[in-house]
Amino acid sequence: MKSMVKSKYSTDFRFSILDFRFPISLLLLGLILLLFQPVIIQAAEVDLKPGDTIGPNNWQKIQDMVGPNFLERVKRGYTFQIKESKKFKPPREYVEATEKYSGGVRLASNGYLENYVLGLPFAKPDPNDPQAGEKLAWNFYWRWLGDNYKTGGATKTGQIIRYAIEKNGDERRSDLVTYTIFPHTRYMLDPKPVLPGYEHIDWMQLRVVGYPRDSAGVSTFGIRYTDPDKADDLYIYIPAIRRIRRGTTTQRCQTLAPSEFNLDDINSFNAKVTNFNYKFLGEKKVLTNFTEEGLPFRRKKGDYLPLDEKWEVQDVYVLEITPKDPSYCYPRKVLWIDKTTWESTWTLIWDKKGDLWKEQFAFRTPVKLPDGREVWSVATVVIVNVQNGRSTVLTAVRAHNKDYPTSLWSLATMQRMMRGGSVE
Amino acid sequence: MQRRVGMKQRIKLPLQIAGFALAFLLAGQVMAASLLGEGFEKFFKEKIRFGGFVENITGLSVGQEHFQFSTSPRFVMNRFTFQPETNINFHRRVKLFISWRFVVEPRYSMETKIRRRSVAPAGSGGSLPGDFYNETKGVPWEAVLDLSPSDNLQIRLGRQFISWGETDGLRILDVINPRDNTMFAPAAPNVFTLDETRIPQWGLRMWYTVRPVSNTIFEFFANPGFDPKKKRVDDISPGNDIGDGKADGDARFGRWSAQAETRIPFGRLFANPLGPVPVVVPITARRYPDAGDNWKIGARFTHNFGALNVGLGYIWGFNPQGLDMVFKKKGGVGCLPIPGPLQGDPTRGCGLFPPGAPAPVGFVPTAVRLDLINDRTSIFAGQFNYPLGTYYGIPVKTALRGEVAFYPSKPFNISKFPGPTGLRAGPDPNYSDSIVERNNLRYSLGFDRTTFIPFLHPDDPWRAFRMSFQIFQSVILGHKDGIRNFFNAGRINKVQTALTFRVNTGYLGDTIIPDFFILYEPLGNWVINPAVSYAPPWNERIKVSLVAAIYNGTKFTGLTGFFTQKDTVFLKLRYQF
Repeated sequence: MKSMVKSKYSTDFRFSILDFRFPISLLLLGLILLLFQPVIIQAAEVDLKPGDTIGPNNWQKIQDMVGPNFLERVKRGYTFQIKESKKFKPPREYVEATEKYSGGVRLASNGYLENYVLGLPFAKPDPNDPQAGEKLAWNFYWRWLGDNYKTGGATKTGQIIRYAIEKNGDERRSDLVTYTIFPHTRYMLDPKPVLPGYEHIDWMQLRVVGYPRDSAGVSTFGIRYTDPDKADDLYIYIPAIRRIRRGTTTQRCQTLAPSEFNLDDINSFNAKVTNFNYKFLGEKKVLTNFTEEGLPFRRKKGDYLPLDEKWEVQDVYVLEITPKDPSYCYPRKVLWIDKTTWESTWTLIWDKKGDLWKEQFAFRTPVKLPDGREVWSVATVVIVNVQNGRSTVLTAVRAHNKDYPTSLWSLATMQRMMRGGSVE
Repeated sequence: MQRRVGMKQRIKLPLQIAGFALAFLLAGQVMAASLLGEGFEKFFKEKIRFGGFVENITGLSVGQEHFQFSTSPRFVMNRFTFQPETNINFHRRVKLFISWRFVVEPRYSMETKIRRRSVAPAGSGGSLPGDFYNETKGVPWEAVLDLSPSDNLQIRLGRQFISWGETDGLRILDVINPRDNTMFAPAAPNVFTLDETRIPQWGLRMWYTVRPVSNTIFEFFANPGFDPKKKRVDDISPGNDIGDGKADGDARFGRWSAQAETRIPFGRLFANPLGPVPVVVPITARRYPDAGDNWKIGARFTHNFGALNVGLGYIWGFNPQGLDMVFKKKGGVGCLPIPGPLQGDPTRGCGLFPPGAPAPVGFVPTAVRLDLINDRTSIFAGQFNYPLGTYYGIPVKTALRGEVAFYPSKPFNISKFPGPTGLRAGPDPNYSDSIVERNNLRYSLGFDRTTFIPFLHPDDPWRAFRMSFQIFQSVILGHKDGIRNFFNAGRINKVQTALTFRVNTGYLGDTIIPDFFILYEPLGNWVINPAVSYAPPWNERIKVSLVAAIYNGTKFTGLTGFFTQKDTVFLKLRYQF
């Protein structure tokens, strides 16, 4: 597939205007300088306002604001309305931590983060910085996600509801929950900012399947370490044999069947930051939804598109991700990262031939912290495998900063797992 | 009349179970709409979950040997299972899980006929009762109350499974709960999982998380032994004897019994001769641990040393494993008066006299009593797991796991080869009760790896193959040549080895799920257990599996050689809810 980024600058250096001559050498110098500038997408003004209806007759208005596969669906008849854009504000504690600590954060030449404590590592990314891509990646990695969260905790069922949709429209449902904790970046829950003894751990996640019955109780317990050279740890509990097995996370490309995600697709980009190269491709406006109303949204059976949800315009950074390991499954991934929340709104993945492989979009929704303040949460995420026609829709609203004991994230929890039971 | 009664019972049982199922499924709606108010309705919707499955497994024998035996049935299993489960989350510190298991197997007339035939002792044996495999009593299968008095302390009370260890297919440390070996095909985990064949036991289990970040956990369990007799230790399926519980010593021939024509005398090896008499008849009986005496306790400590997860533990109680049972000679019985001046009183007999002791004067023993027993034992346990990464550029990327069990002074049956008076074997004069005790070390190493094999997966080259390789060994320290297993008198070598390999993946979005397991013993025995499941893409609740258990090797030796006649294909239909 052709790159989505089109150069605005012609390579034709010949120039003349009748009755007006420029010094050719200066002109040539200017053109040469322009040719070697990075190609930067500028956020253009868009001709969209709340109440507008987008459909096959005016799809051009949203070109470059949505993924190519989604655009094709619009061309083929999908319609939706535009609504007011929701502007979230990061929690006060997070903003204060950014102001206090981001000035001291450095990026080593090998891409490792140095002196990071709390908050957004790089408060004001400079597009002209040669390390702008890496800095964006670290900002994405350390975006605000709460001190802990339960994914699925704010849905109606208390679980993530996931549908695997076949090309012919057949669907299979699965329910699960995840519990995630960030032990050394705590903003609101005591002890702050670090849980003693956990300084070396970035996050821990417990994932428990709840439905269907034969998968119920299957759990994983993953640990991401602060040391970039230390591989993640993974434990897997298998209820059919009541054993905890050790997993290896080095096969990050393996499909998490029957969904179309792999390990690194979770949260759009879940890999170790230092294993990839990054390029800041600029800023743009995109269509997304930060106030999803149906949780999950109403859709036609066998299809992944929302029927009633309205879309809104948001500003994003465009980040290109390429692997250092040539055998990695995704030779190119692009994230469209919201400038306020640092969450990924769209994710596009290409294969080795340059063909579009997967397209993912993620809605958000406002949720309340225990103290009543409003924050954002992921809502429904859709990933489409454009090449095999399968898609996955999951609704995963989070409940943040719950009073979970630290011992929840330990092997003792897995040993007590019962099919269909709750661990909290 | 008997047939009519049987027919009535056959109809009644499924109706009872169907009634229970209907009540269970409707309970939600009824209770939600109850008069107890909105609070209860809210609690019911948010805190109570129902689940379970209904399953039918059909087994068809495909072994070639069946052509030799005109009385062997092809249709060997038709098992219906209904297992409802309920989770109640009263409070984050109080939870209840309860499940029931109902099983019904119709009786097969052909099986009834063949079980009446026997080789030796002539006239022994009989058909299994028609309801032998049924489980219809309504006693909860699993019923556990989980309490969390503090964030780091969890207590589980009730009828439960306690599973230690890291292995698949065979057990080293997973010997706290016994297993029901009468229903399953051995070393064939694709037919029945370990979870389906374990027998739950009443007990207490406790975890104390000393330090969560290093997974430093202390665990303790105590099973007081309240379980019924046949549920205290493995329910066995040896060649010739399944106690039906109605009378000890009665032989009943079940699904996995050897064919009638090939059954071997049970216990003969350890009985002959006894005293001056060249041949005596063994009278065998299974002796279960007494009520109140079959309690079990254990403790374990686990910790992470960096990436290495290690556990050390101890178990004290009856070793439930069927293959570890031994015949214990209780003494001579049924004495025959010796004609002559010292002839004993034939009206009184000589009763039971101890092993090793001579028969009372004037009598000669004609039979010997052998009790098949489980041994009360200590097990010193250890386990570990560790993820291997890339070394010197070689992507090992494998999870390594291992476990070890040490049995001090474990009893083994022993005989002298060759036996006196021309017999193949006879009792060892140094061991009057036919038992020798030796230290036994058992361990296993396992290697788990996920790998991509794109040419075998054109549908999704990134759908991994999960592979697992295991090696099991058992070492008898101070081994003696005459050590034999009890069920077929096969030799037990100083070092016994078994290797297993398992691979599985999923095709077409995991709608087609193949799983292949093989076990191989260097004795020459092996079992292949392939399975392919279909999970339709339009309904996640349905699963259909075709499974085979194919045995081969040296008959009547090792773990699996005994089942060389038992090749079977199974069809499993499961509906989950």
